[in-house]
Amino acid sequence: MHARASSPSSFAPLLASIGLLALWELAARLLGITGLPPAYDALRELPAILGDAEALLNIAASLRRMLTGFILALLLAVPVGLCMGRSERLAAAFNPLLMIIYPVPKAALMPIIMLWLGIGDASKTIVITLGVSLPVVYHSYQGARAVEEKLIWSAAAMGMGRAARLWRVVLPAALPQVFVGIRTGLVLALITMVTSEMIARQTGVGSILFNALDMAQYTTVYAMIVIVGLLGFVLDVLIEKLRYSLVQWAEPTHEIAVGTS
Amino acid sequence: MRAGRTCLPVLGALPLACLLALWQSVAAAGLAPAALLPAPAAVFARLLEQVHNPVFLAHAATTLLRLFAGFGIALLIGLTLGLAAASNRWAEALIRPLWRVLAPVPKIALYPALVLLLGFEHASKIALVVADAVFPILLATYQGTAAVEPKLVWAARAAGAGRHRALLTVVLPAALPMILTGARVALIISAIVVFLAEMLSSTDGLGHLLVYASRSFQTVDMFVPLITISIIGLLLNAGFNGLRKRLLAGFPEEG
Repeated sequence: MHARASSPSSFAPLLASIGLLALWELAARLLGITGLPPAYDALRELPAILGDAEALLNIAASLRRMLTGFILALLLAVPVGLCMGRSERLAAAFNPLLMIIYPVPKAALMPIIMLWLGIGDASKTIVITLGVSLPVVYHSYQGARAVEEKLIWSAAAMGMGRAARLWRVVLPAALPQVFVGIRTGLVLALITMVTSEMIARQTGVGSILFNALDMAQYTTVYAMIVIVGLLGFVLDVLIEKLRYSLVQWAEPTHEIAVGTS
Repeated sequence: MRAGRTCLPVLGALPLACLLALWQSVAAAGLAPAALLPAPAAVFARLLEQVHNPVFLAHAATTLLRLFAGFGIALLIGLTLGLAAASNRWAEALIRPLWRVLAPVPKIALYPALVLLLGFEHASKIALVVADAVFPILLATYQGTAAVEPKLVWAARAAGAGRHRALLTVVLPAALPMILTGARVALIISAIVVFLAEMLSSTDGLGHLLVYASRSFQTVDMFVPLITISIIGLLLNAGFNGLRKRLLAGFPEEG
């Protein structure tokens, strides 16, 4: 079998998107049902949505919550994962807990957390943080565990303290793995963002999506799906770019995402 | 070091026990009203009670049906596309950009469209599970297959096996460890996605039970379906690990 180096050519995904849109257009024309408007109609709706101040505010609110939750999760999860990777005891203490939290649908905690914190930003941000943390902890742990012992011994021999070793030796060495977690975490952040807004419909992309569905504005539904899809793709490309500029010495890993919404 | 090793499992139980104790004591001390945070003992008692309730079991069965239908279809599609992408240049050129575009899209956003196309019944939920579960399987199959030692394939071809036969009898078994890892991740994703889909719009299933309970502020009944789906996820994970051990007897253990 052949394993080819992945070349990040930018026009293949573009072609794929155009192909998908063409397929959608064709299916809509052939089926002719109101539940599936043609791709052209949905795309024509895009400028109207993106030019509307209220819609933009909603999208901005979604992104703000997502980024807050995402950054909080990174600040929390990366150190925990790295410490777990360097201490057998910490790993033994926290692995069972993580294993039990792993299959819990984080976005489904929304109704319960809403009881405590209301339907505002706090609940949604917490749910997003929870969703992102798990894969980041897992991959940071795996990355820190695999760091060459000799590197750490050398650093210790040169008089580096424990914290400095973690920050200046373990973190850079584990960074490629950490990025695998970050990339998975980003997808999860988007999923929990949309789902939490669908459950507590107040502001945000998810609430526009479901309100449009309820009001039978089908082209808006599809236009919003395109926007969310674009958001996912663009953020993924940005993370990939950041990864490339930080850890270009490492092989790009397309690991199977370990983590769930 | 050796003495430290034997107490590691005990160490693992510690945070869990602390969490449960904290939850119980917060509830028992009356720091949070029972309507907001029921005691864990109450939740688990209710869970045990519901396990004998035929209505609850029917909801759970609906959820499981959707879960397995979606996972099965995703497995079929993921394996086929993954094998195709790894063994055929043209298929790869077609599939890779598609998955590059579609994988980071939060599939749950497609759910309204799926409801419009397939209705509120099983089909839309199963379709969402397929959309979410197919990518880990596809990626694992592709990578597992691409990493198979080419000499194995050459040997099989030299011994007279055809292209397809070599694919099925040599490549697929050699890629099995990776494929099973992907499938296990997909299985847990399926459990979560089916629950979320049922929460968003449905009249049955465990996810519906949670939303139904939250509308009438039955906090205990909100925890029960959530814990049930998590236990289902844990059991599926454990079952899959068992299956993996049997299928992969002789393969090196996963790190």
